[in-house]
Amino acid sequence: MNGRMTGAKWLAGLAGAALLCAVPRFFSLDYYLHMFVMSEIYAVLAMSLALIVGFSGQVSMGHAAFYGVGAYASALISLKSGLPFWVTIWCAGAVAGLLSFVIGKMVLRLRGHFLAITTAFFGVLVTLILNNWIELTNGPMGVPGIPRPSPISLPGLTLSFETRADYYYLGLVFVGLVAFLLYRLVNSRIGNALIAIRENEELARSIGVDAMAYKVFAFTLGGALAGMAGSFYAHYILFISPVTFTIAESINLLVMIIFGGMTTLFGPVFGAVALTLLPEFLRMAGSLRLVIYGVALVIFIIWLPLGVWGTIKSKWMERRG
Amino acid sequence: MLMVFLQQALNGIILGCIYALIALGLSLIFGILEVANFAHGEFYMLGAFMALFSMSGLGVSFFPALLIAMIGMGIIGAIIERAVFRPIVGKPLINSMLLSFGLSTALANLALLLFGADPQKIESGLADYHLRFFGLHLTAERLMVLVVGVALVTLLAWFIQSTRTGKAMRAVSQDRVAAQLAGINVSRIYTVTFAISGALAAAAGTMVGAMFFVSPEMGFSVTLKCFIIIALGGFGKIRGVIVAAVMIGLAESLGGGFISYAYKDAYPFLLLVLLFMLKPQGLTGGSGR
Repeated sequence: MNGRMTGAKWLAGLAGAALLCAVPRFFSLDYYLHMFVMSEIYAVLAMSLALIVGFSGQVSMGHAAFYGVGAYASALISLKSGLPFWVTIWCAGAVAGLLSFVIGKMVLRLRGHFLAITTAFFGVLVTLILNNWIELTNGPMGVPGIPRPSPISLPGLTLSFETRADYYYLGLVFVGLVAFLLYRLVNSRIGNALIAIRENEELARSIGVDAMAYKVFAFTLGGALAGMAGSFYAHYILFISPVTFTIAESINLLVMIIFGGMTTLFGPVFGAVALTLLPEFLRMAGSLRLVIYGVALVIFIIWLPLGVWGTIKSKWMERRG
Repeated sequence: MLMVFLQQALNGIILGCIYALIALGLSLIFGILEVANFAHGEFYMLGAFMALFSMSGLGVSFFPALLIAMIGMGIIGAIIERAVFRPIVGKPLINSMLLSFGLSTALANLALLLFGADPQKIESGLADYHLRFFGLHLTAERLMVLVVGVALVTLLAWFIQSTRTGKAMRAVSQDRVAAQLAGINVSRIYTVTFAISGALAAAAGTMVGAMFFVSPEMGFSVTLKCFIIIALGGFGKIRGVIVAAVMIGLAESLGGGFISYAYKDAYPFLLLVLLFMLKPQGLTGGSGR
């Protein structure tokens, strides 16, 4: 990764940002905006999972658990204490981060499929607890009536969160901040250490990298970010129930980062957006939708194992030599 | 209380027999092709439907239907290996995980589309006979599961231990390249492995369909449980897998009966996590990567 950004790149970035900000002007239908907001939530989730799986090489099959814990933490705190979203989103990050720290400490000494199955266990366990701890979570009936974020007014711009466009802009900021944070992180010494652990953990340890500490750090940060995404989801949909946060969702997130390519930061974002919009386009196929989705996944993994963005990037690198 | 305990234990062992049949196939695939097949539960589901339809469509009775399902899923398993898994053999595990997850989604939803969501029952004609001994209760159907399960596992063990193909399978699972150098047709072994695994899963599905129900979504939770079983039993070890399958069956049945039914699905995982924490080498020792 070349550290310094050139003028052309800045310009391209600004143009891209302007285009993204203009999206609600072109797609004013609620249905489209809803898909875009969901894409933003999935983009954050996918980036946070890519930090764990793509950059550190630790396969987690329970990521939706942290998403769910964040959503429930934020919703319940704001319902019981009346704190605004702007506070509870941090609470969600803290609760999910704490949980992933504890789980990470327990499971990250396991490798490969052992780690995958153990993280799947915690994912299943969280779903079961959300379903059965009825006094706290209201069980399968879910938590209704979650308040919207309180309005914010910046100079020249007021977001009241009565429309989906407002959520879209907030989501854009959220995605941008997370992407910036992770970009800085993976291009720092910490990022190098994580990649070294992914490539060869014994070798990394032999040159003095405290592998366990770095892995737990990545797992905790990934979990915390997923929790914050959960908070955003809860205060956007205004209703949460355990079915949103099952192991199927964890696998869905893995599919997104594989689809986009998980060893880059743009890959997961691309995967998240593509795989949120694609099933919607497939709606015209009616009940064949999930069949086509499954077959597409099979064909895709056979032909483009590096992911779409990863393949483009490696081809481009090849051509540049 | 003791009788209830023994009754639950007996049910657990029967459940374990079913799990053993599915998990052994999964373990063979994992050991020989080194791919994770998350669509294995769908093999089991499709096998059950195949038996159901050969009974209602062809009018055959239960045991011929069981055989038809096994042969049919053996063929489908072989085709799926050739068409879907062959291109990614030797790639990282996560590729096969997601590929087979896609396959699982496609097959489960295709079944939903073709066969409908309503659970259906396979009539084995054995449910009306009851056995009572020492105060325990066993339907002839469950006895049949026990007998067929043990017979198939024994047959598999003999096949792998004694036949030429079985020996070749073991050779490939130990060292693919060396096996190839020794003149073993590795490609054929891969196909045979999937065919056997498909047939075993179909047998399990048919018997579950007789005891309980057949439905398109019966596969996925079983897949997860069987991954736990092969992790518990040590990857690629027949005896370990059988012991683990019975343990999981017992844990589910006894835990569900005596601790809390709501958390029934968590007990197998709990067992596994405890094992990982306490004894990272697996139940029967060996490499604990």
